[in-house]
Amino acid sequence: MSGFKGVWLVAARELRERGRSKAYLISSVFTIVLLLGAIFVPALIGGDSTTHEIGLVGEGGQELVAAAAELAEQRAEGEPAEQFETHVFDSVEEAESALNEGTIDVAVVDGTELLTRGAGFFGGSSADSRLQESAATVRIQDLVVENAEAAEVLNLLASEPLEVRILGDASEEEQAIRGAIAFGGLILMYMAVLTYGTWMLSGVTEEKTNRVVEVLLSTLKPWQIFAGKLVGIGLLGVGQMAALIVIALVALRLNDSIDLPALPLDSVVALIGWFILGFLLYATLFGAAGSLVSRMEDAQNAAAPLSILAVIGYLFSFTALGDPGGPVAVVGTFIPFTAPYVAPIRLAFGEIGGWEMALSVLVTIATIVLMVRLAGRVYSGGLLRFGSRVKWSEAFRTGA
Amino acid sequence: MAGIPLAFAAMLQIKDLHKRYDEVVALDGATFEVQPGRMLGFLGPNGAGKTTAMRTIFGLVTPDAGEVLWNGAQVTTDDRTRFGYMPEQRGLYPKMKAHDQLVYLGRIHGLDKATAGTAATKWLETLGLEERSADPVERLSHGNQQRVQLAAALVHDPELMVLDEPFSGLDPIGADTMADVLRRESAAGKAVVFSSHQLDLVEDLCDDVAIINRGKIVLAGRVKQLKDAAPIRRLELEMDGPSGLVLSHLDGIRSADMVDGRHVLMIEADTDVRKVLAEAESAGTVRHFIYSTPSLTDLFREAVA
Repeated sequence: MSGFKGVWLVAARELRERGRSKAYLISSVFTIVLLLGAIFVPALIGGDSTTHEIGLVGEGGQELVAAAAELAEQRAEGEPAEQFETHVFDSVEEAESALNEGTIDVAVVDGTELLTRGAGFFGGSSADSRLQESAATVRIQDLVVENAEAAEVLNLLASEPLEVRILGDASEEEQAIRGAIAFGGLILMYMAVLTYGTWMLSGVTEEKTNRVVEVLLSTLKPWQIFAGKLVGIGLLGVGQMAALIVIALVALRLNDSIDLPALPLDSVVALIGWFILGFLLYATLFGAAGSLVSRMEDAQNAAAPLSILAVIGYLFSFTALGDPGGPVAVVGTFIPFTAPYVAPIRLAFGEIGGWEMALSVLVTIATIVLMVRLAGRVYSGGLLRFGSRVKWSEAFRTGA
Repeated sequence: MAGIPLAFAAMLQIKDLHKRYDEVVALDGATFEVQPGRMLGFLGPNGAGKTTAMRTIFGLVTPDAGEVLWNGAQVTTDDRTRFGYMPEQRGLYPKMKAHDQLVYLGRIHGLDKATAGTAATKWLETLGLEERSADPVERLSHGNQQRVQLAAALVHDPELMVLDEPFSGLDPIGADTMADVLRRESAAGKAVVFSSHQLDLVEDLCDDVAIINRGKIVLAGRVKQLKDAAPIRRLELEMDGPSGLVLSHLDGIRSADMVDGRHVLMIEADTDVRKVLAEAESAGTVRHFIYSTPSLTDLFREAVA
């Protein structure tokens, strides 16, 4: 049997048996329900009608708001429609300060320009898109009256009829999105490390508990079993996480309560990369801990130092979230156990240099390689020692 | 196996294994052979080194010295995929279906998916478990779990079978099934070795035995030859009359026991028992007199004393 064939067989069993186990399905469904709840419930509770506060400066705005209200009425189909309230301002400056204070969502200037604050990830307003829509409708009607060329109509449809001006620092919006991604990524990372680490832990201990490991070892090498478990559980974890992310994105779109930001691609790619590194680093150690004990009751104890390490890394990262360029964040980038949390955060905020990222990845990968060797040795030393808990040093000494 | 010199026809050779765990010497030069078509009973008191020796065959224990040869060459990982192993502590995935489990174990021994599936079905049928093949192992009775365990050691049609205490915990029916299967596999030319404390069963099944004590093989060979060559004989006597007096004239008594009013003695092989019989007949009525080669149990006791 070639080395990788064995790894794949172990991984495939893990995927099949764990993937269809009640525990996996229930935990997946539960998390998805929780997620959907978090997305939909606020909208449901938030009342059945949304009121858009529109500021008006100069002429022409009133017409657009009326058209928007009409469109909303048509769209509502019997449900309470979105409401539009108007506030008239004498100058653009007054409208801007009202925007900044939050008394209005957008302002229309002379019926041609749209002033917005810029949508953050949370609490972005959909008033601006409603107004763009109505402006387009109004213009198309005008064009039809003027009997204009079809090309002009199409041209209009392809563009936003109102000119948009975002108040304040234009990058604030992007910062907010990046912050949200960093925060979401951090929570996902933490969940992944603990959840899949625990799967690895219990998966290894289970094979010792029911002694099947002796049969496996009669034909497979310890590293094949260990690697197979990592691959199988890793794939299941990635699958679960991917499903969560896709469902969350789709639900956000359907719900329409939040303007879905265009995700900065570098952040997403880095997040996935770090997710894999973080999983490998922690799951390897959890797996080694699992090989030290023969009973499930002892497994959590054996893994306690690792759980604490994972939690410390997580807490550490909140400092980085608050100050992604600060000294704590910089130090955390180069500590392998905090790097999977901290580095994506700093990247999301654009607060990490290329060489820092490269060094951080390098340090983490080097640690993973080291841990895999150490864990592999502990694993092979611990596997066939049944009964009381084996010491790390003892397992390491007797392992191969 | 054409081309393999006759000297190597002993398929599995255990040579001078040594293994020490800190203060405990588990193996101290253990040497024995398992030949195809000749079932070997591997005997020894608890803690004598049986399990350690068996684990060494599978590379689960790395000996400090000595070697395990398969057809004359050092055992390789590849060879081990053609070995079947039933560990002393049974091990199966409790939540995995019996059939799936056998397929998986077949595949990690190198079978392709289809072959493993067919073999799993065949063995479940042979062992009377075809109805339970879709049940998780944890829902089977203890005896049926043992059967699945046996199937697990057989599913890849191994050339060598090593079973650690396969009969322990089995009811008489289960033991019969186990014995039948082993007999059949051995007759089909496989090398079969198993350890057991049920010596009458071993005597029944095995062509060869190896007895290990304190990590050393103290007796090994064909059961019949060992009995004939043994320096002791078994003598049983029951009589009306002063049996104690009669036996007190007997030389070379190794051990004496009283079972249901019957004397059971182990005596030196060269002791002349005709004199005892004559004396007994003159002193009273002899109800029962048996002089025989020692039983396997007798040999075992003698060997590990």
